[in-house]
Amino acid sequence: MVGLSVGEKHFIQGGIAQDLRTDGRKRLTYRPISVETGANGSARVKMGKTEVIASVKAELGRPNSSAPDKGKVSIYIDCSPTAAPQYEGRGGEELSMELSAALRQCLLGGKTGAGAGINLSSLSIVDGKVCWDLYIDGLVINIDGNILDALGAAIKAALSNTGIPKVNVASTAPSDEQPEVDVSDEEFLQFDTTAVPVIVTLTKVGRHYIVDATSEEESEMSSAVSVSVNRQGLICGLTKRGGAGLDPSVVLDMISVGKHVSEQLMNKLDSEIAAAEATMEEE
Amino acid sequence: MEYVSPEGLRLDGRRPLEMRQLRAELGAVSRADGSAVFEMGNTKVIAAVYGPREVQQRSQQLNDKALIRCEYTMANFSTGDRMRKPKGDRRSTEISLVIRQTMEACILTHLMPRSQIDIFVQVLQADGGTRSACINAATLALADAGIPMRDLVTSCSAGYLNSTALLDLNYVEDSAGGPDVTVGILPKLDKVTLLQMDAKLPMDIFENVMQLATEGCKAVANYIREVLIENTKQLENRRGV
Repeated sequence: MVGLSVGEKHFIQGGIAQDLRTDGRKRLTYRPISVETGANGSARVKMGKTEVIASVKAELGRPNSSAPDKGKVSIYIDCSPTAAPQYEGRGGEELSMELSAALRQCLLGGKTGAGAGINLSSLSIVDGKVCWDLYIDGLVINIDGNILDALGAAIKAALSNTGIPKVNVASTAPSDEQPEVDVSDEEFLQFDTTAVPVIVTLTKVGRHYIVDATSEEESEMSSAVSVSVNRQGLICGLTKRGGAGLDPSVVLDMISVGKHVSEQLMNKLDSEIAAAEATMEEE
Repeated sequence: MEYVSPEGLRLDGRRPLEMRQLRAELGAVSRADGSAVFEMGNTKVIAAVYGPREVQQRSQQLNDKALIRCEYTMANFSTGDRMRKPKGDRRSTEISLVIRQTMEACILTHLMPRSQIDIFVQVLQADGGTRSACINAATLALADAGIPMRDLVTSCSAGYLNSTALLDLNYVEDSAGGPDVTVGILPKLDKVTLLQMDAKLPMDIFENVMQLATEGCKAVANYIREVLIENTKQLENRRGV
Protein backbone atom coordinates (compact mmCIF):
# COMPACT_ATOMS: atom_id res chain seq x y z
CA MET A 1 0.00 0.00 0.00
CA VAL A 2 2.14 2.83 1.25
CA GLY A 3 5.79 2.32 0.54
CA LEU A 4 7.85 3.85 3.30
CA SER A 5 11.53 3.57 4.02
CA VAL A 6 12.90 2.73 7.47
CA GLY A 7 13.89 6.37 7.92
CA GLU A 8 10.43 7.64 7.04
CA LYS A 9 8.80 5.17 9.40
CA HIS A 10 11.12 6.26 12.16
CA PHE A 11 10.36 9.92 11.41
CA ILE A 12 6.59 9.37 11.62
CA GLN A 13 6.85 7.37 14.86
CA GLY A 14 9.27 9.86 16.41
CA GLY A 15 7.03 12.78 15.48
CA ILE A 16 4.02 11.16 17.08
CA ALA A 17 6.00 10.45 20.22
CA GLN A 18 6.93 14.17 20.42
CA ASP A 19 3.37 15.36 19.73
CA LEU A 20 4.36 16.96 16.43
CA ARG A 21 3.23 14.99 13.40
CA THR A 22 4.72 15.18 9.91
CA ASP A 23 2.10 17.66 8.74
CA GLY A 24 2.57 19.86 11.81
CA ARG A 25 -0.51 18.69 13.69
CA LYS A 26 -0.66 17.64 17.31
CA ARG A 27 -1.77 14.12 18.21
CA LEU A 28 -5.38 15.08 18.79
CA THR A 29 -5.88 17.62 16.01
CA TYR A 30 -7.99 16.98 12.94
CA ARG A 31 -7.13 18.02 9.42
CA PRO A 32 -9.30 20.77 7.91
CA ILE A 33 -12.80 19.44 7.30
CA SER A 34 -15.03 20.72 4.53
CA VAL A 35 -18.67 19.77 4.10
CA GLU A 36 -20.73 20.32 0.97
CA THR A 37 -24.39 19.37 0.89
CA GLY A 38 -26.12 18.50 -2.34
CA ALA A 39 -29.64 18.68 -3.71
CA ASN A 40 -31.50 16.36 -1.38
CA GLY A 41 -30.04 13.89 1.04
CA SER A 42 -26.46 13.94 -0.10
CA ALA A 43 -23.20 15.33 1.17
CA ARG A 44 -19.53 15.40 0.31
CA VAL A 45 -16.98 15.53 3.10
CA LYS A 46 -13.29 16.19 2.73
CA MET A 47 -10.86 15.56 5.57
CA GLY A 48 -7.51 16.64 4.29
CA LYS A 49 -7.17 14.64 1.09
CA THR A 50 -9.69 11.98 2.08
CA GLU A 51 -12.90 12.57 0.20
CA VAL A 52 -16.21 10.74 0.55
CA ILE A 53 -19.76 11.18 -0.68
CA ALA A 54 -22.83 9.92 1.14
CA SER A 55 -26.38 9.79 -0.11
CA VAL A 56 -29.67 8.85 1.48
CA LYS A 57 -32.56 7.37 -0.45
CA ALA A 58 -35.92 6.37 0.99
CA GLU A 59 -38.28 3.72 -0.34
CA LEU A 60 -41.53 2.39 0.99
CA GLY A 61 -41.21 -1.12 2.37
CA ARG A 62 -42.57 -3.60 4.87
CA PRO A 63 -41.24 -3.60 8.42
CA ASN A 64 -39.61 -6.70 9.86
CA SER A 65 -42.01 -8.93 11.77
CA SER A 66 -39.66 -8.80 14.74
CA ALA A 67 -39.88 -5.00 14.94
CA PRO A 68 -43.25 -3.99 13.44
CA ASP A 69 -43.11 -0.42 14.74
CA LYS A 70 -39.73 0.41 13.26
CA GLY A 71 -38.39 1.34 9.84
CA LYS A 72 -35.29 -0.17 8.30
CA VAL A 73 -31.96 1.43 7.58
CA SER A 74 -29.22 -0.15 5.54
CA ILE A 75 -25.75 1.17 5.03
CA TYR A 76 -23.63 0.25 2.04
CA ILE A 77 -20.19 1.61 1.38
CA ASP A 78 -18.42 1.38 -1.93
CA CYS A 79 -14.76 2.08 -2.58
CA SER A 80 -14.35 3.65 -5.97
CA PRO A 81 -11.38 2.42 -8.00
CA THR A 82 -10.53 6.09 -8.55
CA ALA A 83 -9.26 6.07 -4.96
CA ALA A 84 -6.64 3.40 -5.61
CA PRO A 85 -6.11 0.89 -8.42
CA GLN A 86 -6.34 -2.07 -6.04
CA TYR A 87 -10.07 -1.41 -5.59
CA GLU A 88 -10.68 -2.30 -9.21
CA GLY A 89 -13.30 -4.97 -9.90
CA ARG A 90 -14.01 -6.89 -6.73
CA GLY A 91 -10.82 -5.62 -5.09
CA GLY A 92 -12.60 -3.04 -2.97
CA GLU A 93 -15.18 -5.43 -1.58
CA GLU A 94 -13.27 -6.45 1.50
CA LEU A 95 -12.69 -2.89 2.62
CA SER A 96 -16.24 -1.93 1.69
CA MET A 97 -17.63 -4.73 3.83
CA GLU A 98 -15.42 -3.81 6.77
CA LEU A 99 -16.45 -0.17 6.58
CA SER A 100 -20.15 -0.98 6.15
CA ALA A 101 -20.08 -3.30 9.14
CA ALA A 102 -18.24 -0.77 11.30
CA LEU A 103 -20.69 1.98 10.36
CA ARG A 104 -23.67 -0.26 11.08
CA GLN A 105 -22.26 -0.98 14.50
CA CYS A 106 -21.59 2.67 15.14
CA LEU A 107 -24.88 4.10 13.85
CA LEU A 108 -27.59 1.47 13.95
CA GLY A 109 -27.25 -0.03 17.41
CA GLY A 110 -28.27 -3.59 18.20
CA LYS A 111 -30.23 -6.09 16.11
CA THR A 112 -33.52 -4.92 17.57
CA GLY A 113 -32.64 -1.36 16.71
CA ALA A 114 -32.29 -0.39 20.34
CA GLY A 115 -29.80 2.35 20.98
CA ALA A 116 -29.65 3.38 17.34
CA GLY A 117 -28.34 6.81 16.49
CA ILE A 118 -31.06 7.07 13.86
CA ASN A 119 -34.54 7.03 15.35
CA LEU A 120 -36.07 4.00 13.63
CA SER A 121 -39.52 4.56 15.10
CA SER A 122 -39.81 7.83 13.20
CA LEU A 123 -39.60 5.82 9.95
CA SER A 124 -42.69 3.77 10.71
CA ILE A 125 -45.85 4.69 8.81
CA VAL A 126 -48.39 1.97 9.63
CA ASP A 127 -47.29 -0.49 12.32
CA GLY A 128 -46.48 -3.86 10.82
CA LYS A 129 -47.56 -2.80 7.33
CA VAL A 130 -45.67 0.08 5.81
CA CYS A 131 -42.46 1.79 6.75
CA TRP A 132 -39.65 3.70 5.15
CA ASP A 133 -36.57 1.79 4.07
CA LEU A 134 -33.66 4.14 4.29
CA TYR A 135 -30.71 3.32 2.07
CA ILE A 136 -27.51 5.07 2.98
CA ASP A 137 -24.86 4.75 0.31
CA GLY A 138 -21.33 5.91 0.82
CA LEU A 139 -18.73 6.27 -1.89
CA VAL A 140 -15.05 6.71 -1.19
CA ILE A 141 -13.50 8.91 -3.87
CA ASN A 142 -10.06 9.54 -2.49
CA ILE A 143 -8.26 7.81 0.34
CA ASP A 144 -5.76 9.40 2.66
CA GLY A 145 -6.54 7.67 5.92
CA ASN A 146 -9.38 7.93 8.43
CA ILE A 147 -12.15 6.92 6.02
CA LEU A 148 -14.48 5.81 8.79
CA ASP A 149 -14.64 9.20 10.50
CA ALA A 150 -15.14 10.92 7.15
CA LEU A 151 -17.95 8.52 6.21
CA GLY A 152 -19.59 9.02 9.60
CA ALA A 153 -19.46 12.78 9.12
CA ALA A 154 -20.77 12.53 5.55
CA ILE A 155 -23.69 10.34 6.61
CA LYS A 156 -24.57 12.77 9.37
CA ALA A 157 -24.46 15.68 6.93
CA ALA A 158 -26.48 13.80 4.32
CA LEU A 159 -29.14 12.85 6.86
CA SER A 160 -29.44 16.43 8.03
CA ASN A 161 -30.49 17.57 4.58
CA THR A 162 -32.74 14.61 3.88
CA GLY A 163 -36.42 15.38 3.52
CA ILE A 164 -38.73 12.42 4.05
CA PRO A 165 -41.99 12.95 2.13
CA LYS A 166 -45.12 13.15 4.22
CA VAL A 167 -47.35 10.11 3.78
CA ASN A 168 -51.13 10.08 4.04
CA VAL A 169 -52.66 6.72 4.81
CA ALA A 170 -56.16 5.83 3.65
CA SER A 171 -57.82 4.84 6.92
CA THR A 172 -60.51 2.68 5.37
CA ALA A 173 -58.32 -0.31 4.50
CA PRO A 174 -59.22 -3.54 6.31
CA SER A 175 -56.70 -4.60 8.90
CA ASP A 176 -55.47 -7.68 7.01
CA GLU A 177 -54.70 -5.89 3.76
CA GLN A 178 -51.87 -3.62 2.76
CA PRO A 179 -53.16 -0.06 3.29
CA GLU A 180 -53.11 2.43 0.46
CA VAL A 181 -50.69 5.22 0.94
CA ASP A 182 -50.29 8.52 -0.77
CA VAL A 183 -46.80 9.99 -0.85
CA SER A 184 -46.84 13.76 -0.86
CA ASP A 185 -44.76 15.56 -3.48
CA GLU A 186 -44.66 18.83 -1.66
CA GLU A 187 -44.55 18.27 2.05
CA PHE A 188 -41.36 16.97 3.57
CA LEU A 189 -40.45 16.16 7.10
CA GLN A 190 -36.93 17.09 8.05
CA PHE A 191 -34.99 14.24 9.50
CA ASP A 192 -33.95 14.64 13.11
CA THR A 193 -30.21 14.22 13.25
CA THR A 194 -29.45 15.52 16.72
CA ALA A 195 -29.08 11.94 17.95
CA VAL A 196 -26.80 10.83 15.11
CA PRO A 197 -23.38 10.22 16.61
CA VAL A 198 -20.00 11.21 15.25
CA ILE A 199 -17.25 8.68 14.88
CA VAL A 200 -13.78 9.25 16.26
CA THR A 201 -11.03 6.82 15.37
CA LEU A 202 -8.00 6.71 17.60
CA THR A 203 -5.05 5.09 15.93
CA LYS A 204 -2.36 3.68 18.14
CA VAL A 205 1.18 4.21 16.87
CA GLY A 206 3.89 3.16 19.27
CA ARG A 207 2.84 4.07 22.79
CA HIS A 208 0.62 6.96 21.78
CA TYR A 209 -2.61 7.36 19.89
CA ILE A 210 -3.62 9.93 17.35
CA VAL A 211 -6.83 11.10 15.68
CA ASP A 212 -7.40 11.52 11.95
CA ALA A 213 -4.41 9.48 10.82
CA THR A 214 -3.18 9.84 7.24
CA SER A 215 -2.44 6.76 5.10
CA GLU A 216 1.24 6.96 6.04
CA GLU A 217 0.43 7.07 9.72
CA GLU A 218 -2.13 4.28 9.37
CA SER A 219 0.53 2.05 7.86
CA GLU A 220 2.42 2.35 11.15
CA MET A 221 -0.53 1.59 13.40
CA SER A 222 -0.68 -1.35 15.77
CA SER A 223 -4.41 -1.09 16.35
CA ALA A 224 -7.23 1.42 16.09
CA VAL A 225 -10.37 1.97 18.12
CA SER A 226 -13.39 3.73 16.60
CA VAL A 227 -15.85 5.20 19.07
CA SER A 228 -19.15 6.71 18.07
CA VAL A 229 -20.39 9.29 20.53
CA ASN A 230 -23.65 11.22 20.44
CA ARG A 231 -24.41 14.72 21.60
CA GLN A 232 -25.14 13.63 25.16
CA GLY A 233 -21.64 12.15 25.34
CA LEU A 234 -22.98 8.60 25.34
CA ILE A 235 -21.12 5.92 23.45
CA CYS A 236 -23.26 4.39 20.71
CA GLY A 237 -20.84 1.96 19.20
CA LEU A 238 -17.32 0.74 19.28
CA THR A 239 -15.08 -1.16 16.90
CA LYS A 240 -11.47 -2.16 17.12
CA ARG A 241 -9.35 -2.82 14.09
CA GLY A 242 -5.78 -3.95 13.64
CA GLY A 243 -4.08 -7.09 14.83
CA ALA A 244 -2.23 -6.04 17.97
CA GLY A 245 -3.88 -6.59 21.33
CA LEU A 246 -4.68 -3.75 23.64
CA ASP A 247 -4.51 -3.59 27.41
CA PRO A 248 -8.06 -3.11 28.79
CA SER A 249 -7.00 -0.01 30.70
CA VAL A 250 -5.64 1.49 27.47
CA VAL A 251 -8.97 0.82 25.76
CA LEU A 252 -10.82 2.68 28.51
CA ASP A 253 -8.34 5.52 28.30
CA MET A 254 -8.76 5.70 24.51
CA ILE A 255 -12.54 5.78 24.88
CA SER A 256 -12.43 8.67 27.30
CA VAL A 257 -10.07 10.60 25.04
CA GLY A 258 -12.30 9.76 22.06
CA LYS A 259 -15.30 11.10 23.94
CA HIS A 260 -13.46 14.32 24.69
CA VAL A 261 -12.35 14.78 21.06
CA SER A 262 -15.84 13.95 19.78
CA GLU A 263 -17.27 17.11 21.40
CA GLN A 264 -14.96 19.30 19.35
CA LEU A 265 -15.63 17.30 16.21
CA MET A 266 -19.40 17.41 16.76
CA ASN A 267 -19.34 21.21 17.15
CA LYS A 268 -17.06 21.65 14.18
CA LEU A 269 -19.27 19.40 12.04
CA ASP A 270 -22.49 21.08 13.09
CA SER A 271 -21.14 24.49 12.16
CA GLU A 272 -19.79 23.16 8.84
CA ILE A 273 -23.14 21.53 8.03
CA ALA A 274 -25.00 24.73 8.91
CA ALA A 275 -22.62 26.74 6.73
CA ALA A 276 -23.01 24.30 3.83
CA GLU A 277 -26.78 24.49 4.06
CA ALA A 278 -26.66 28.27 4.20
CA THR A 279 -24.64 28.43 0.97
CA MET A 280 -27.09 25.97 -0.62
CA GLU A 281 -29.97 28.27 0.18
CA GLU A 282 -28.16 31.30 -1.21
CA GLU A 283 -27.80 29.55 -4.53
CA MET B 1 -45.01 11.95 -25.83
CA GLU B 2 -43.94 15.37 -26.96
CA TYR B 3 -40.20 15.85 -26.70
CA VAL B 4 -40.07 19.10 -28.63
CA SER B 5 -42.78 21.65 -27.91
CA PRO B 6 -44.41 23.61 -30.78
CA GLU B 7 -42.27 26.57 -29.71
CA GLY B 8 -39.21 24.46 -30.42
CA LEU B 9 -38.16 23.86 -26.82
CA ARG B 10 -37.14 20.54 -25.30
CA LEU B 11 -38.24 19.10 -21.96
CA ASP B 12 -35.41 20.77 -20.09
CA GLY B 13 -35.88 24.08 -21.90
CA ARG B 14 -33.07 23.69 -24.41
CA ARG B 15 -33.29 24.32 -28.15
CA PRO B 16 -32.81 21.19 -30.32
CA LEU B 17 -29.25 22.17 -31.27
CA GLU B 18 -28.26 23.28 -27.81
CA MET B 19 -25.89 21.40 -25.51
CA ARG B 20 -26.13 21.14 -21.79
CA GLN B 21 -23.82 23.23 -19.66
CA LEU B 22 -20.30 21.85 -19.48
CA ARG B 23 -18.07 22.03 -16.46
CA ALA B 24 -14.69 20.46 -15.97
CA GLU B 25 -12.11 20.47 -13.25
CA LEU B 26 -8.67 18.92 -13.20
CA GLY B 27 -6.94 17.21 -10.30
CA ALA B 28 -9.98 16.05 -8.36
CA VAL B 29 -8.30 12.95 -6.95
CA SER B 30 -5.01 13.88 -5.37
CA ARG B 31 -3.56 10.38 -5.20
CA ALA B 32 -4.02 9.61 -8.88
CA ASP B 33 -1.42 10.57 -11.50
CA GLY B 34 -4.12 12.44 -13.37
CA SER B 35 -7.76 13.05 -12.66
CA ALA B 36 -10.70 15.14 -13.74
CA VAL B 37 -14.35 15.80 -13.03
CA PHE B 38 -16.55 16.34 -16.05
CA GLU B 39 -20.16 17.50 -15.98
CA MET B 40 -22.65 17.68 -18.82
CA GLY B 41 -25.73 19.17 -17.23
CA ASN B 42 -26.75 16.80 -14.47
CA THR B 43 -24.46 14.02 -15.63
CA LYS B 44 -21.35 14.06 -13.50
CA VAL B 45 -18.37 11.72 -13.72
CA ILE B 46 -14.91 11.47 -12.17
CA ALA B 47 -12.01 9.94 -14.05
CA ALA B 48 -8.70 8.95 -12.51
CA VAL B 49 -5.61 7.77 -14.34
CA TYR B 50 -2.87 5.69 -12.73
CA GLY B 51 0.26 5.13 -14.74
CA PRO B 52 2.21 4.57 -16.83
CA ARG B 53 3.49 2.08 -14.28
CA GLU B 54 4.81 -1.46 -14.02
CA VAL B 55 2.42 -4.09 -15.37
CA GLN B 56 0.66 -5.66 -12.39
CA GLN B 57 -0.07 -9.01 -14.02
CA ARG B 58 2.96 -10.26 -15.87
CA SER B 59 0.94 -12.35 -18.32
CA GLN B 60 -0.78 -9.23 -19.63
CA GLN B 61 2.45 -7.41 -20.42
CA LEU B 62 2.90 -6.25 -23.99
CA ASN B 63 6.45 -5.95 -25.23
CA ASP B 64 5.85 -3.40 -27.95
CA LYS B 65 3.28 -1.08 -26.37
CA ALA B 66 1.57 -0.02 -23.19
CA LEU B 67 -1.33 -1.95 -21.75
CA ILE B 68 -4.43 0.21 -21.35
CA ARG B 69 -7.07 -0.85 -18.87
CA CYS B 70 -10.35 0.81 -18.09
CA GLU B 71 -13.09 0.32 -15.57
CA TYR B 72 -16.46 2.05 -15.55
CA THR B 73 -18.43 2.06 -12.31
CA MET B 74 -21.68 3.70 -11.37
CA ALA B 75 -22.35 4.84 -7.83
CA ASN B 76 -25.39 3.24 -6.17
CA PHE B 77 -26.98 6.65 -5.84
CA SER B 78 -26.22 7.90 -9.35
CA THR B 79 -29.59 7.03 -10.87
CA GLY B 80 -33.14 8.04 -9.92
CA ASP B 81 -33.99 4.66 -8.47
CA ARG B 82 -31.29 3.23 -6.31
CA MET B 83 -29.10 0.68 -8.12
CA ARG B 84 -28.63 -2.60 -6.37
CA LYS B 85 -25.84 -4.28 -8.27
CA PRO B 86 -23.57 -1.63 -9.66
CA LYS B 87 -20.46 -3.69 -10.31
CA GLY B 88 -19.61 -5.90 -13.20
CA ASP B 89 -22.91 -5.97 -15.07
CA ARG B 90 -22.97 -6.28 -18.85
CA ARG B 91 -23.63 -2.63 -19.48
CA SER B 92 -20.65 -1.50 -17.38
CA THR B 93 -18.40 -4.06 -19.03
CA GLU B 94 -19.47 -2.90 -22.47
CA ILE B 95 -18.92 0.77 -21.65
CA SER B 96 -15.53 -0.03 -20.10
CA LEU B 97 -14.57 -1.71 -23.35
CA VAL B 98 -15.81 1.20 -25.46
CA ILE B 99 -13.87 3.72 -23.39
CA ARG B 100 -10.75 1.57 -23.45
CA GLN B 101 -10.81 1.16 -27.20
CA THR B 102 -11.47 4.84 -27.76
CA MET B 103 -8.66 5.96 -25.49
CA GLU B 104 -6.27 3.33 -26.82
CA ALA B 105 -6.69 4.82 -30.27
CA CYS B 106 -5.32 8.17 -29.19
CA ILE B 107 -2.65 7.27 -26.65
CA LEU B 108 0.82 6.86 -28.12
CA THR B 109 1.14 3.40 -26.61
CA HIS B 110 4.28 2.49 -28.56
CA LEU B 111 6.26 5.04 -26.52
CA MET B 112 5.63 3.14 -23.29
CA PRO B 113 6.28 -0.56 -23.89
CA ARG B 114 5.97 -3.00 -21.00
CA SER B 115 3.94 -0.58 -18.91
CA GLN B 116 0.35 -0.23 -17.88
CA ILE B 117 -2.09 2.69 -17.73
CA ASP B 118 -5.27 2.35 -15.72
CA ILE B 119 -8.26 4.57 -16.39
CA PHE B 120 -11.04 4.50 -13.82
CA VAL B 121 -14.27 6.33 -14.44
CA GLN B 122 -16.84 6.70 -11.73
CA VAL B 123 -20.33 8.00 -12.48
CA LEU B 124 -21.66 10.16 -9.66
CA GLN B 125 -24.82 11.38 -11.34
CA ALA B 126 -26.33 9.79 -14.43
CA ASP B 127 -28.66 11.85 -16.60
CA GLY B 128 -28.03 10.45 -20.05
CA GLY B 129 -24.83 10.65 -22.06
CA THR B 130 -22.65 8.96 -19.42
CA ARG B 131 -20.67 7.29 -22.22
CA SER B 132 -19.73 10.65 -23.72
CA ALA B 133 -19.11 12.28 -20.37
CA CYS B 134 -16.81 9.41 -19.37
CA ILE B 135 -14.75 9.70 -22.54
CA ASN B 136 -14.42 13.45 -22.09
CA ALA B 137 -13.42 13.01 -18.45
CA ALA B 138 -10.91 10.31 -19.39
CA THR B 139 -9.31 12.59 -22.01
CA LEU B 140 -8.88 15.33 -19.44
CA ALA B 141 -7.50 12.93 -16.84
CA LEU B 142 -5.00 11.49 -19.35
CA ALA B 143 -3.91 15.00 -20.29
CA ASP B 144 -3.60 15.85 -16.59
CA ALA B 145 -1.41 12.77 -16.10
CA GLY B 146 0.83 13.99 -18.94
CA ILE B 147 0.38 10.88 -21.04
CA PRO B 148 1.40 11.39 -24.66
CA MET B 149 -1.59 11.43 -27.01
CA ARG B 150 -2.11 11.94 -30.72
CA ASP B 151 -4.95 14.33 -30.06
CA LEU B 152 -7.73 14.88 -27.57
CA VAL B 153 -10.71 12.56 -27.95
CA THR B 154 -14.06 14.15 -27.33
CA SER B 155 -17.47 12.64 -27.49
CA CYS B 156 -21.06 13.78 -27.70
CA SER B 157 -24.38 12.16 -28.52
CA ALA B 158 -27.30 13.20 -30.67
CA GLY B 159 -30.71 11.74 -31.29
CA TYR B 160 -33.80 12.11 -33.42
CA LEU B 161 -37.21 12.56 -31.78
CA ASN B 162 -40.44 14.16 -33.04
CA SER B 163 -38.82 14.55 -36.50
CA THR B 164 -36.17 16.80 -35.00
CA ALA B 165 -32.48 16.15 -34.56
CA LEU B 166 -31.53 16.76 -30.93
CA LEU B 167 -28.04 17.35 -29.56
CA ASP B 168 -26.79 15.88 -26.26
CA LEU B 169 -29.75 13.77 -25.06
CA ASN B 170 -30.63 13.72 -21.39
CA TYR B 171 -31.99 10.67 -19.57
CA VAL B 172 -35.66 11.22 -20.46
CA GLU B 173 -34.88 11.76 -24.14
CA ASP B 174 -32.45 8.85 -24.10
CA SER B 175 -35.04 6.45 -22.72
CA ALA B 176 -37.64 7.57 -25.26
CA GLY B 177 -36.53 4.70 -27.47
CA GLY B 178 -35.49 6.80 -30.43
CA PRO B 179 -32.13 6.54 -32.15
CA ASP B 180 -29.14 7.60 -30.10
CA VAL B 181 -25.94 8.28 -31.98
CA THR B 182 -22.77 8.56 -29.90
CA VAL B 183 -19.79 9.92 -31.76
CA GLY B 184 -16.20 10.30 -30.62
CA ILE B 185 -13.75 12.31 -32.68
CA LEU B 186 -10.14 13.39 -32.76
CA PRO B 187 -10.88 17.08 -33.35
CA LYS B 188 -7.52 18.19 -34.78
CA LEU B 189 -7.05 15.21 -37.04
CA ASP B 190 -10.75 15.41 -37.88
CA LYS B 191 -11.26 11.67 -37.57
CA VAL B 192 -14.05 9.65 -36.06
CA THR B 193 -12.88 7.08 -33.51
CA LEU B 194 -16.18 6.06 -31.96
CA LEU B 195 -19.56 5.64 -33.58
CA GLN B 196 -22.46 3.84 -31.98
CA MET B 197 -26.15 3.92 -32.73
CA ASP B 198 -29.15 2.03 -31.50
CA ALA B 199 -32.56 1.94 -33.22
CA LYS B 200 -32.82 2.79 -36.91
CA LEU B 201 -32.70 5.89 -39.05
CA PRO B 202 -32.98 6.62 -42.77
CA MET B 203 -29.61 7.28 -44.38
CA ASP B 204 -30.07 10.98 -45.10
CA ILE B 205 -31.32 11.72 -41.59
CA PHE B 206 -28.52 9.70 -40.06
CA GLU B 207 -26.06 11.91 -41.90
CA ASN B 208 -27.62 15.01 -40.34
CA VAL B 209 -27.73 13.53 -36.85
CA MET B 210 -24.15 12.37 -37.05
CA GLN B 211 -23.08 15.76 -38.36
CA LEU B 212 -24.83 17.32 -35.37
CA ALA B 213 -23.10 14.99 -32.90
CA THR B 214 -19.75 15.78 -34.55
CA GLU B 215 -20.41 19.50 -34.13
CA GLY B 216 -21.15 18.75 -30.47
CA CYS B 217 -17.82 16.95 -30.15
CA LYS B 218 -16.04 19.98 -31.59
CA ALA B 219 -17.75 22.27 -29.09
CA VAL B 220 -16.67 19.94 -26.28
CA ALA B 221 -13.14 19.91 -27.69
CA ASN B 222 -12.99 23.70 -27.64
CA TYR B 223 -14.14 23.73 -24.05
CA ILE B 224 -11.68 21.02 -22.99
CA ARG B 225 -8.85 22.85 -24.68
CA GLU B 226 -9.75 26.03 -22.80
CA VAL B 227 -9.78 24.15 -19.50
CA LEU B 228 -6.38 22.61 -20.22
CA ILE B 229 -4.86 25.93 -21.24
CA GLU B 230 -6.26 27.60 -18.14
CA ASN B 231 -4.84 24.79 -16.00
CA THR B 232 -1.43 25.07 -17.64
CA LYS B 233 -1.41 28.81 -17.04
CA GLN B 234 -2.10 28.21 -13.38
CA LEU B 235 0.70 25.68 -13.16
CA GLU B 236 2.98 28.19 -14.86
CA ASN B 237 2.00 30.87 -12.36
CA ARG B 238 2.69 28.57 -9.46
CA ARG B 239 6.16 27.85 -10.74
CA GLY B 240 6.70 31.56 -11.08
CA VAL B 241 7.57 31.46 -14.78
